[in-house]
Amino acid sequence: MVIRRRRSIFDLMREYMEEIEDLADEMFERLMERPSWDVGSQSLEPLCDVLVRSDRVIVTADLPKVDPDSIRISGISDDMIEITARMRVKVNFEDLGVTHRRGEFTCFSCRVPLPVPVDISKAKASFKRGILEVILPRKMGYEIRVE
Amino acid sequence: MGLVYRLKDAVFMLSEMEIRIIEHKIIPEDAELICGLPDVGLVGAIAVAHMIHKLDLREVAYVESDMLPPIIILENGLPRSPIRIFGDGNIVVVSSEIAIPLEVISPVIRGVVDWAWRRRVKRIFTLGGLPVPNRHEIEKLRIFGAVSDDSLLKIIEENDVEVIQRGFLVGPQALILKYCAERSMPAIALLAESFYNYPDPEASSIVIQTLNRIMGMNIDVSELIEKGEEVRLAMRDMMRRTQTELARMRKSHEYDIPGYYIR
Repeated sequence: MVIRRRRSIFDLMREYMEEIEDLADEMFERLMERPSWDVGSQSLEPLCDVLVRSDRVIVTADLPKVDPDSIRISGISDDMIEITARMRVKVNFEDLGVTHRRGEFTCFSCRVPLPVPVDISKAKASFKRGILEVILPRKMGYEIRVE
Repeated sequence: MGLVYRLKDAVFMLSEMEIRIIEHKIIPEDAELICGLPDVGLVGAIAVAHMIHKLDLREVAYVESDMLPPIIILENGLPRSPIRIFGDGNIVVVSSEIAIPLEVISPVIRGVVDWAWRRRVKRIFTLGGLPVPNRHEIEKLRIFGAVSDDSLLKIIEENDVEVIQRGFLVGPQALILKYCAERSMPAIALLAESFYNYPDPEASSIVIQTLNRIMGMNIDVSELIEKGEEVRLAMRDMMRRTQTELARMRKSHEYDIPGYYIR
């Protein structure tokens, strides 16, 4: 006799959630599967972090060996910024202990997607201990009055 | 017949699940084992890399397992395990050149602790960072500690290490303390305030200075500070890989405040 178990709504929901999680993991891993450098543009991708607060988004980036005056931050759209900075000295693969690749790097460059829209014209940035911090106010919505 | 095959399969599967420590050299009894596996700010990883360089430690053993990702590190054209044990005399360190995947962290650490127990290691130190959100605004980094046994609390307190009285610990340090407590092996976790996502050589220097005090060593850390930018540049890719594993192991649990309790 074959016992057929009907799947409950909870089973279906769990399966659905697992599928979404797998998909997210896969997308994240695919993003990782590329070099963090680009010989063509002589650029390195900096380590970046995005923190979302109720009223602002804080983007930080680790920029070692960078000339602070060369840091440029520009808004690509209301949910993406671009950070570029020149290094004080050129770095090549050999400096990093790798001898089988050729190329040198002169700058850091990355585009940071933001999870929520921001008002880029009101952004503020500071550079301390080699860490760039950009504070971007979030776009305001409509206020709902509490009666 | 079928049963024999099934037994063979089972044995084969067990050997696949195994973590082996392959030794080139037997370490002396009463050695001090120092672990610096990739974690927040790569504090421990940078610290042990610096120790290997400064104390001129040589590879004495390596970790081998089919559970590890299919990665080798090439040195002068020769394959090496990315997780290795270096030593000289009674100073022995565990170092990894890859972010250890979440799935194998427990077996790798259990394997290392079991091996240390069999080799009668005197105590295990685990070096790392305690992430603080406003790290780039902090001038003087604080150092915290936790231990596997209450008799060790005095040692860390005498050496100006603040004890983490209550809170969560996630990752390599958590497992080392847990497995050592199970085996009644002395273990001390030394954690300096650090960046979460960025390599933090300054935090590594604080951890080494504390280790210097506890073990009566004199490892110079000035190079770590002077060449901080080089270290951050060199550690960029390892940090990127480690971030992924930190997110998967829910490292942010360390920020959580433990639930209500009655004193």
